[in-house]
Amino acid sequence: MEGKLVIPGELVTEKRMRLGPHVFVENGKIYSDTVGLAKIDRGIARVVPLQGKYMPKAGDVVIGIVVSEEYSYYIIDINSFYYSFVPKEEIRIPLRKGTIVSAKIVKVDEINAATLSDIRVFRGGEVLTISPVKVPRVIGKNASMLNLLKRGTGCSLMVGMNGRIWAKGGNIELLKKALAKIERESHLSNLTLRIQKMLEKEKQHTRR
Amino acid sequence: MEEIVYVNTEGKRIDGRKLDELRPIKIIPSVLSRAEGSAYIEWGQNKALVGVFGPREAIPQHIQDPTKAIVNYVYRMATFSVPDRKSPKPGRREIEISKVSGEALAKAIFVERFPNTTIDIYVHIFDSNAGTRCAALTAASVALADAGIPMRDLVSACAVGRAAGHIMLDPCKEEEDASDAVDMPLAIMPRTKEVVLLQMDGIISKEEWKKAFELGLKGCQQVYGIQKKALKRKYEEIAEEEAKAIEHVDKQLKEISENPELLRGGNK
Repeated sequence: MEGKLVIPGELVTEKRMRLGPHVFVENGKIYSDTVGLAKIDRGIARVVPLQGKYMPKAGDVVIGIVVSEEYSYYIIDINSFYYSFVPKEEIRIPLRKGTIVSAKIVKVDEINAATLSDIRVFRGGEVLTISPVKVPRVIGKNASMLNLLKRGTGCSLMVGMNGRIWAKGGNIELLKKALAKIERESHLSNLTLRIQKMLEKEKQHTRR
Repeated sequence: MEEIVYVNTEGKRIDGRKLDELRPIKIIPSVLSRAEGSAYIEWGQNKALVGVFGPREAIPQHIQDPTKAIVNYVYRMATFSVPDRKSPKPGRREIEISKVSGEALAKAIFVERFPNTTIDIYVHIFDSNAGTRCAALTAASVALADAGIPMRDLVSACAVGRAAGHIMLDPCKEEEDASDAVDMPLAIMPRTKEVVLLQMDGIISKEEWKKAFELGLKGCQQVYGIQKKALKRKYEEIAEEEAKAIEHVDKQLKEISENPELLRGGNK
């Protein structure tokens, strides 16, 4: 395991430090606010969460599903607290209920409602879901894990920060297996290596 | 009528515990797949299941609070959880427990981060023998942590009581029914020792109350230890399994490198 496993209210460090995500200060000491792995690097104390919901953040690219079409706008579910609205003026292609889209969050207001832009439509494929806090592990350092998954399964992939993954073509069953493994073992180190081994093993199986 | 001996000459209670001993507690987090966070608890004979949902948009809209999340704690007892059948209709007692426990947890959760939402906590008691509100609250705080909801601290609860003049930790049903019984459920945030729930039945002197409160704090710290272990065990188990798997592969590789004939396999 990389870092120390902490639970809510457990001490991360007693030193003064810059604050990363999922920590808070009380009486000059830094504590974790969730179950996760505490890490301190380059003077920043942070906790990598192991569970949690998606909190929309400006700049995130998310995968949404069109919930319904109204007279002048579409309602899009981005797996957050509220549905988002996109005016029809912004999209030239007509969308229908159930269409898969990717969008960029441009603004999040004080009640965590997101404004979307840059809508792109996906044709075909399917949407897989994972826990939103594990998205960074699916992408990996310099997208190493993502490239590995693309090569290993032959799928076209698009990962949204909200825990939805759009996949088309290739070996989707194998992809699902790999994602389940990533979700289960996200708190352990050398994950990319282990996924690589798993994918190679599966390849040999299919060749036989 | 025969008189019940609450504490015998060896200092043991009716069920064989010492005065400052809890009943055995077992907590398992993540038991429900549909809930975002869940926990199952066995506290002596008490058994309870907790499911946490949210934070999600509060509906109907008029209950929303734009400054914070609402903590909706629902405590229910199964009809078969008590000696005689309990009416499934939520009674006065259940509504009261739901209210005070919800408020206790709201103290620990960072509610201000989730405006206009509710955090729903559903607790069902399947078997009971005194101290279910403490068991439920303990399990609920584990389930909240399991759901990844940001919290200042866990909430640990346990009861203290008096029977036949003895102050004792975590009284069972017989002790709660003693003629001079006092029952005091207590919940704290263990890091700061902030009290988030304190109720009391019966009449007690100031000195005795102080003694009981100190004993209760000690009990809560013990409960906290169990909660902590339960939450961490899930991840440590996976780590151990993987370590074993890696060890197994390494061993095989080592055997092969030492004895290359193994690869040819049965061609002798």
